[in-house]
Amino acid sequence: MERETLDVDILIVGGGPAGMSAALRLAQLQKEKGGEPLSIAVLEKAREAGAHSLSGAVLDPSALRQLVPDFKEKGAPLAADVHHDSVYFLTRTGKLPFPIIPPPLKNHGNYIISLNHFVKWLGTLVEAEGIDLFAGFPAVELLFEGDRVVGVRTGDRGIGKHGEKKGNFEPGVEIRAKVTILCDGVRGNLTKVLVQRLKLDDGRLPQVYALGIKELWELPKDRISPGSVAHTMGYPLRNEEFGGGFIYAMPDGLVSLGFVVGLDYKDPMFDPHLAFQRFKLHPLVSALLSGGHMVRYGAKALPEGGWHTIPRPYADGVLLAGDAAAFLNSIRLKGIHLAMRTGMLAAETAFDAVRAQDVSAAFLQAYERRINASEVRRELYPVRNVHQSFEHGLFAGLAYAGLSLVTGGWWIRDPMPAQAGHERMAKLAEYYRDARPNPDVPVSPVKIDRQVTFDRLTNVHYSGTRHAEDQPSHLIVHDTDICRTRCREEYGNPCTRFCPANVYEMVDAGDGGKRLQINASNCVHCKTCDILDPYQIIDWVPPEGGGGPNYEGM
Amino acid sequence: MILVIAEHRDGKLNRATWEAIAAAQQAGAPVRVALVGAALTTLATELAAADVAEVLTVEHEALGAYTADGYVMALASLVESEKPGYLFFPHTYQTRDFAPALGARLNRPVVTDVTALKKDGDGFVYTRPVFQGKLNADVSVSGPAPHLVTFQIGAFRADAAARKSGGAASVRAVAATVDASAIRQKAEAPFKEAKQAVDLSQAERIIAVGRGIKSQENLALAQQLAQAIGAEVAASRPICDSGWLPMDRQIGSSGQTVAPKLYVALGISGAIQHLVGMKGSRTIVAINKDPEAPIFEIADYGIVGDLFEVVPAMIAELNK
Amino acid sequence: MKISVCIKQVVTREWQLRVADNGTWIRDSDASFELNEPDAYALEEALRLKEKHGGEVVVCSAGPARAAQVIREALARGADRAIHVEADALATAEAFTVADALAAAIREERFDLVLTGLQSDDQGFGQVGVVLAERLGMPHATIIMEVQADTSSGSGALRVKRELEGGWFQWVTLPLPALLTIQSGINQLRYATLKGIMAAQKKEIKKVAPASVGAASVQIRKVYFPERAKKTQMIPGSPAEAAKTLVTKLKDEVRAL
Repeated sequence: MERETLDVDILIVGGGPAGMSAALRLAQLQKEKGGEPLSIAVLEKAREAGAHSLSGAVLDPSALRQLVPDFKEKGAPLAADVHHDSVYFLTRTGKLPFPIIPPPLKNHGNYIISLNHFVKWLGTLVEAEGIDLFAGFPAVELLFEGDRVVGVRTGDRGIGKHGEKKGNFEPGVEIRAKVTILCDGVRGNLTKVLVQRLKLDDGRLPQVYALGIKELWELPKDRISPGSVAHTMGYPLRNEEFGGGFIYAMPDGLVSLGFVVGLDYKDPMFDPHLAFQRFKLHPLVSALLSGGHMVRYGAKALPEGGWHTIPRPYADGVLLAGDAAAFLNSIRLKGIHLAMRTGMLAAETAFDAVRAQDVSAAFLQAYERRINASEVRRELYPVRNVHQSFEHGLFAGLAYAGLSLVTGGWWIRDPMPAQAGHERMAKLAEYYRDARPNPDVPVSPVKIDRQVTFDRLTNVHYSGTRHAEDQPSHLIVHDTDICRTRCREEYGNPCTRFCPANVYEMVDAGDGGKRLQINASNCVHCKTCDILDPYQIIDWVPPEGGGGPNYEGM
Repeated sequence: MILVIAEHRDGKLNRATWEAIAAAQQAGAPVRVALVGAALTTLATELAAADVAEVLTVEHEALGAYTADGYVMALASLVESEKPGYLFFPHTYQTRDFAPALGARLNRPVVTDVTALKKDGDGFVYTRPVFQGKLNADVSVSGPAPHLVTFQIGAFRADAAARKSGGAASVRAVAATVDASAIRQKAEAPFKEAKQAVDLSQAERIIAVGRGIKSQENLALAQQLAQAIGAEVAASRPICDSGWLPMDRQIGSSGQTVAPKLYVALGISGAIQHLVGMKGSRTIVAINKDPEAPIFEIADYGIVGDLFEVVPAMIAELNK
Repeated sequence: MKISVCIKQVVTREWQLRVADNGTWIRDSDASFELNEPDAYALEEALRLKEKHGGEVVVCSAGPARAAQVIREALARGADRAIHVEADALATAEAFTVADALAAAIREERFDLVLTGLQSDDQGFGQVGVVLAERLGMPHATIIMEVQADTSSGSGALRVKRELEGGWFQWVTLPLPALLTIQSGINQLRYATLKGIMAAQKKEIKKVAPASVGAASVQIRKVYFPERAKKTQMIPGSPAEAAKTLVTKLKDEVRAL
């Protein structure tokens, strides 16, 4: 097929905080160091910058201060200064406040933000520098020469449901770059392929993820003071599940409310979305929400494994930054500043490489050295085993976390052994023994009232998700036979429970059995299915450019 | 005085004309009806049965076939001689073609697609849909007469147009100032053609099916009901996803938005994605086994029951 | 052929509509916007006519500063240059005001053909195109499915296929210059290519201020969600009884049958 080609010096894949920071830093370096102007492009799969960005979020402004020292004058959308932190352990009906806020959860000096607004703002700065930001263009394939990354190919557009070319078919473009910086997010589709192909995770622990589900609520104006940050542990999660809730208050009655669950739970009937609903029905939360209404919904996976799971972040012609390479501090629940920081460091290395005309792995290793010499390692290394310690249960994890503050993360076995999340899911027979549940019915249902609690389909409506209808499904399930036979028997089709967007349903096949139905256009691009499917037969690939959620305000 | 502009083609009155007459009668001012065209005697007699003050005919050879220019010229001169306070039209494709041009020619405001009007001081406040029927807007119109108003098809009932109890309205011919050479459109004869995709937004009645219909074969039942009441068949998303009906029959956020006179939802639970596509329907009927189905929250009439028993009973009742 | 396409920026179709505090419009300060869908068909038709007959496509829009977004999108798809009549008030102005603003801005260009969509997905008056034709002194035709241009003979003429209701159609001939409102669904708007997006940044967008505007004659007093006046009537009884009751009610209570 005839494809257009475009040549740039540095290509950034992903317009989130990592990608935008990389672009901005490159523009700064250009001005500082002068010389032949570099051609830089940023690819973003969403229709507009920020549309697919969501997070709690409490921002540590350290990277922002460095990248944009005059961020306040430049109108950075910081919704509220954090002025109050609380941490609760929830029981079914009560709450036990932590007498002391664990240091990692102290947020004095930080800001509550909407990541969507923040990324939009970064995008305006990037475009003001004259850098091409191509929104609606997902990168679907890496271009290689041998094992060297020489660029990416963007997705074809105008392909119908059954793979046929429609009247407005437009082939994807081959963008050739000297250095490609992959900022394609948690379980990024290109990073996933690269890591596998070049074994960048050799000697690393398997990655573990969590799923964060979030709603934006409008509450009566004086219900909660802007700048309040609350985190919860305990109910509705059991000791065997990792995660907790968060409540961040912004001005004008807006509240970010959400729930994070480790994607390494044992119970195959566990339903993260239902757990979130249960959280909202807890007296602490329902009192807060009464009289308010939900205005937006979204979900994303988080890379929680920490330092020992970060792959080698460089190879010939390519660098990895942000969530894609798991630069996230799961103990502080913060990744935005790390995404920004690694984006900036990647930009510095890429700039030097292009100027030196050497984009080999040997040269690009400077990126790893920069990371090791920076705040990134200083922050992540001491907590390198904390997430893994939670594999032994909530209390073990808390105990180790407390200990690690004093010991700098030391443990008898370092790294602490760990297992990929999807391998920890027990089979129905194992977990439920003789009390085998009906896979199509929640084990402990929650009353859905569509005022405070919602079903997935209603929630998806509030994510603003829209995809061109007539296109092939972008959730590639390699063997749907497994779904209706082995998986149904062994795990009870957990995808119907762990997807927060009602993409997967087991419907009557007409022959007495069930078949998998994929409602691809509901997908909010969280990546949970790619991560947690026990057989690892689901591949998430980018749908036609521009499609996906619209996380306004998230 | 309200002047209702009648619409006709090939010697037949468009039924929507009676709806505009009903709207004019409700408004409470004296009503006259105008016919523009050639050879209008039969149509004029038909209209004279309405309870209106007068039927005016503007006849000219050049107006035999509809053209935007012809109608604008004829009506502009009619307005000058009759000085109506309002011009009422049914909101048809033809009206949309010339009414704004007439308004621009006269420099008078045009309010389109009105579903209701109520008195407000010396004039009216008009209700019309905005955002594809998701919201209503109440608008007021100021400035000199006449004000041009077009009424949404079905907003007023044709059979609500009062007829004269005895006798007929007088018919008066009005001379038309029409310069045939100034008509820039040359129209060929209309012809019929099967349309590629169905436009559900034009349907007055819709029978929509959801998962409750269970299988493709059962669609026949919905089709029978549709036939019995003169409706189009539509569907919620899962039906079209399964390929049981084509995508252009889908109602909802990823399909069409409709607001027909009557919407009958069979076996549709009422997920919000579907509701946003049909909430504006004038009368909503829901038949579903599940008493908790969200569709009942927005239905005007609801039957909790098995559609496979209720629908055949409805068809039987309708065919009596 | 010198073609103008008039486009409008509207909130995206899935935007959660909430009434603004002043009650006369929706809250849109944080909204996502897009090209008015009916205008996309007009844009595609204009680009195809240019491909067939040569000339240029000038995209015109009357709206606030943010309308530059859809202007750029149109330029990225192949329009050659743009005219932006910029004013905040134009976002919610009535049809005549918008048409007057566009007419004043484009009159001097002496376009051969002006295309618009049928109506906007927000206000939906469906008038701007036709009023614009009148203001420019051009003949017009609406709800056009197909355009055949004959540019050979002198000033040129168009033969266009109009849609009438109920499956009827009609061919109409009109001389150029003319204005057409294009039926929705007749084509598929092409994608903007990367090269197109890059080229768009260098294309001219002429900004003009609207001429002073007379007082509005059509004013929105308020917008609101249609209320269901009646409570849901749940009809009891056996299927046969309920069916009978329902049919009777539909006939008598609401005259829906």
